Amino acid sequence: MSHLRYTIKRLLQAIPVLIGISSITFFLINAMPGSPVEVMLGPTASEELIAAAEERYGFDQPIHVRYVKYILAAMGGDLGRSIHYGVPVTTKIMERLPVTLLLLASSFAFAISVAIPLGIVSARRRNQPVDHGSRVVSLIGVSTPNFWIGLLLIIVFGYHLQVLPSNGLVMPLTPISEVEGATSRLDVLVQTAKSLIMPTIALGTLQMAAVSRIERSSMLEVLGRDYIKLARAFGVKESVITRKHAFRNAQLPVVTIIGLQLTSALGGAVLTETVFNINGMGRLIIQAVRTQDYALIMGTTLFFGVMFVIGTLVTDLTYAYLDPRVTYEGED
Amino acid sequence: MTASTPLLSVDNLQTQFETAEGTVRAVDGISFDVHEGETVGLVGESGAGKSVAISSILRLVESPGEIVGGEIRFQGETLLSFEEGPDGERRRSPETLSNEEFRRRIRGREIATIFQDPMESLNPVFTVGSQLQEFIEINRELPPKDARDVAIETLREVDIPKPEDRFDDYPHEFSGGMRQRVLIAMAIACQPSLILADEPTTALDVTVEGQILNMVSNLQDEYGTSFVWVTHDLAVVADICDRVNVMYLGQMAEQANVHDLFDDTKHPYTEALLNSVPRPDKTVESLTPIEGVMPEAIDPPAGCRFHPRCPDAREVCREINPDARNVSDTGRPHNAACVKHDAFDVDYEHSAPIKSEDDEFGEDLQVTEGSR
Amino acid sequence: MAAETEAADGEEYESRVGASYTLSRLLQDTSARISLFLIAIISAGALFAFVDAEFLDYRLAETYLYHPLRNNVGARPLLPPVGLSNQFGEGVMAHPLGTDTRGRDIAVRLLYGSRIAIQIALVSTTIGVVVGTTVGAVSGYYGGWVDDVLMRFVEILYSIPFLVLVIAFMAAFGRELIYAMIGVSIISIPIFARLIRSEVLSIREETYVEAAQAAGVKDRNILLRHVIPNSFAPVVVQTTLQMGTNILIVAGLSFLGFGAQPPTPSWGQMLSIARNYMLPAPWFSVWPGLAILVTVMAFNILGDGLRDTLDPRLEN
Repeated sequence: MSHLRYTIKRLLQAIPVLIGISSITFFLINAMPGSPVEVMLGPTASEELIAAAEERYGFDQPIHVRYVKYILAAMGGDLGRSIHYGVPVTTKIMERLPVTLLLLASSFAFAISVAIPLGIVSARRRNQPVDHGSRVVSLIGVSTPNFWIGLLLIIVFGYHLQVLPSNGLVMPLTPISEVEGATSRLDVLVQTAKSLIMPTIALGTLQMAAVSRIERSSMLEVLGRDYIKLARAFGVKESVITRKHAFRNAQLPVVTIIGLQLTSALGGAVLTETVFNINGMGRLIIQAVRTQDYALIMGTTLFFGVMFVIGTLVTDLTYAYLDPRVTYEGED
Repeated sequence: MTASTPLLSVDNLQTQFETAEGTVRAVDGISFDVHEGETVGLVGESGAGKSVAISSILRLVESPGEIVGGEIRFQGETLLSFEEGPDGERRRSPETLSNEEFRRRIRGREIATIFQDPMESLNPVFTVGSQLQEFIEINRELPPKDARDVAIETLREVDIPKPEDRFDDYPHEFSGGMRQRVLIAMAIACQPSLILADEPTTALDVTVEGQILNMVSNLQDEYGTSFVWVTHDLAVVADICDRVNVMYLGQMAEQANVHDLFDDTKHPYTEALLNSVPRPDKTVESLTPIEGVMPEAIDPPAGCRFHPRCPDAREVCREINPDARNVSDTGRPHNAACVKHDAFDVDYEHSAPIKSEDDEFGEDLQVTEGSR
Repeated sequence: MAAETEAADGEEYESRVGASYTLSRLLQDTSARISLFLIAIISAGALFAFVDAEFLDYRLAETYLYHPLRNNVGARPLLPPVGLSNQFGEGVMAHPLGTDTRGRDIAVRLLYGSRIAIQIALVSTTIGVVVGTTVGAVSGYYGGWVDDVLMRFVEILYSIPFLVLVIAFMAAFGRELIYAMIGVSIISIPIFARLIRSEVLSIREETYVEAAQAAGVKDRNILLRHVIPNSFAPVVVQTTLQMGTNILIVAGLSFLGFGAQPPTPSWGQMLSIARNYMLPAPWFSVWPGLAILVTVMAFNILGDGLRDTLDPRLEN
C-alpha cells in the first residue's frame, strides 16, 4: 500500500517539473532570431505570404498568449506541427521514440550486467590484480567520448572485419519484407541484435564504468558494516554474505548513480545515433535544429525531459523497493 | 567436563594491525579462562583491546588486523595455535581448525556473540524475524518452518511483546533496547555453549540496561550458558560477573574473582578504575579520575604500560613490563601485573618514586594531586 | 613519516584543508602526480596555442611548425603516421601523426585544439562553480521559499539531458564556441548548486555556525566565512571531475557541429571530419579521440586523488 502511495506522490511531483521543462524550452526557442515561418518560406518569400503563414501558425500573437496556448495544448498531448516534416510533432516523436528507448534499454542492460559483477569481484579481491585491472578499465570508460568508441568500433568491426553493420538499427517489429535479406521474423531479430551490438557498447561503456566504480566502493563499504560481521559471527557462508546480506544494501547507491547516469546516457544517445546513423530521438533533435523546426525542437527537448523524469521515477521506486526505510520516511 | 578443564582457554593471544604509521599491538599476549556456566568479565577503557580480543576468538579480525600468536582451546579442541615454520616464521599449526570448519562448527553454533551497537548490527533491508530465522536454520539445522517457530519463541523469551507480529518488522521499526534484545535472541536461539557479549548495553540507557542485565542472568540460570562479558562499566561487572579480567593497553592488568577484585584490589589500575566510579557509599567529591589518557597502542610506554599514569610508579616501573602473576594471599587465584607485589623480585621497595614533571597531562595532574 | 602520523590523527583534521598541505599529500600519490604533470603539459600547449592564435596571428606556428588552419603547400593530404603507408603515400617524419584532408599537420591541429578543451575546462567550469555555489549556498542557508524557488529551477534544468539542453540553447542563440561555453556553464550550475546546498544544510546545524548567528554576525558574513570554506573539499573534487565532463560534452557538441567552427581546430570537430575518412585513413579518427581520452582521464585521476586526500571518509 505504502509503495503505491509513494508512487502516486512521486508522479504528482513530476508534473511541475514537466511544465517547467516546457516553459524553459518555449522561451529558449522563442529567443531565436527571426520567425520560423521566414525560415520555412525562404528568403525570397513576399511580406504578405509571410504574414499569412504567421497568422496560420499563430505566430502573429504576443508571446505570453502563445505560451499559455502552448502549455495548454501540450497538456492535452498536442505539441504542434513540425514545419519541416509537415506532420504533428507527436507523430514524429512516437515514430522515433521506440528506437531510442531500445538503444537505451540495451545499453543500460549491458552496463549493469557487466558493471555489477565487475564491481563485486573488484571489492572482494581488493588490491589484487583483478581489482587493479577493473579499476583501470572503469577509469578509461568514464574518460572516453562515446562517439569515439563508436568510430573505433566501426573501423574495426564494420570496415575491417566486416562482421557488424555500421549503419542504422533494425527494429525487431519491422515488417519482414522491409528488412534486407530477411525471410523470417528470426532473421529480423538476428539483424536487430547485430545492429544493436556496437551502438550498445558505444553508449553503455560510460554507464558501465561509472556503475562499476560505485558498485566497488559501495560493496567495500557494506562489507565493512557491523551487520556483515554479525552474519559472519553466526557462521553464514561468505558466498551467501556477498549474494544476500551485502548485495541488496550495496545496490542502494548504485541505483542512485544509475538514475544520475540517465542524463548523460540520453545526451550520449544523441551522439551514438549520429555516429551509427540511427533514426532515433537524438538524430531527430539535430535535424530539427538544422532545419530550425521550432515545434519539433521544443517537442523533442520536452520528451528528453520526460524520459529523464520517468527514468528517475523508476530508479526512485527501485530504491524504495530495495530499502524498506524509504517509504516510511517519505510518508511523514 | 570437569571444573579443571575450562570451556574456553585463551593463552598468550596476540593480534596486531599493520598501519601506515607502524604496527599496533592491539592485543598483546593476553591469557584467560572461561569455565562452564560462568560469566567472565573483560574490563578496560576504550582502546584497551577488549573488542579485538573478542573478534580474535571468533576469527573476525579484518585486514589490516591479524592474529599473530597464541593458543585458543575450546571444549578440549584446539581452535587456534601457532608453530615455528621452516623459515623461522610463525604460522598456524596443523591442529588449528580450518576456516571452513571453524565457520561451520564453531561460529554461532558453539560460540555466539552479541554485538555492541544494536543500531548497526541488524541488516536494515531484511526483516528482524528473517535474520533471526536464518541464523537458527544454519546453526540448529532446522527446516524453515521450525526455525521460524523457534525464532518467535526466542523473541518472546527476550521479552519482545507480540513476537508473531513483530517478526515481519524491519529493524528501523524497533527501538534501540528492542534491537539489543533481538541481538541477544540471535545468540541464545542458536543454543551455543558460550556467548561473547561485546559491551551489549553500552549504547542503551540505564533503565533498559538494567532490564537487559536481569533478563540475561535469568536466561543464564535457565540454559547454563557461559558468558564473556566485555564492558568498561564496573557496576555491570559487580552485577553479573563471577570472575573479572582487567585489561590495559592490550595486556592483562589483574585477574580475580569478582569479590576479591573489589575488596582486595591488587593492581593500581584496577584501584584507579574503582575510584573513578560513582558508588552509593561515596560522595561525588571523593571520586578520583584516572590521570591522563590511555596512550595509543601503537606507541606503548616502555616498562609497565600503566606507569605514566600510576600513582605508585617507581623508577623500576620504567624498565620492567610485568606479566600477570599470581599474587594471592588467600589461596584463591588472583593475578596482577604489578611489580609492587613480592611475587616480582625486582626490589620495588628501594626504587625511587617517579616525579611526574615530565608528564604532558599537567592539568589532570593537579586535580589528582589533591586527592592522593 | 611525521606528516603521515599527523594525518592519521583525527584531531588534526582541520589542518587537512590547507592548500599546501593538500598538495604535499596529493604528490605522494603516483597517479595523481602523473595526472598533474599531464594537465600541466596540456595546459602549456593550450597556452602556447592561445597566445599564438590570439595575439601573433599564428606566426609562431608558421615559423616553427605548420600553420594549423591554412592548407600546407607541398604536403599531401591524408598521409599516414610515421611507419605506416596507404594509397596516398608513406608516413614522413615531418608529419609524425600524419596529415588531414587538406594536408594540414594533425599534430599541430591537435595542439591548437587543446586550447578549446582547456578553455572550456577553465571558463565554463569556473562560471558553473561560482554561480552554482552562490545559488546553492543561498538556497541552503535561507531555506523557505527562496530554497523552494531556486531548487525547483535547478531541478528543472537538471531534468533536461545536458547535451540536449545545450543544443536547444545553441539552436536559439548560435552555433559559435562562445554559446557552447555559456551553455556548458549553465548545465554545470545545478550540479554545484545541489552539492553546496546539501553541504550547507549539514553545516548550518553545526555549533560554530549557531554560535556565529547568536553572536549577531551578518548572514552574508556567515556564509562567506564559515559555510562556504567548510564546503571547500567536495567542491574542489567536483570541480576537477566536472572539468573532465565538460571537455567531453564540448567535444560531443563540436562533433555534432556545435562549437568551434572550421577552420579553427577542436578535437571533436576533427573527429567529425575524420568520420568521413574512416576507411582510407583510420588513424585520423584515432588521434583526436586519444587526446580527449588522455585529457579527461588526467582530470578524473586528479579528482579521485583529491577526493582521497581531502575527504578521508571516502577513501576506498
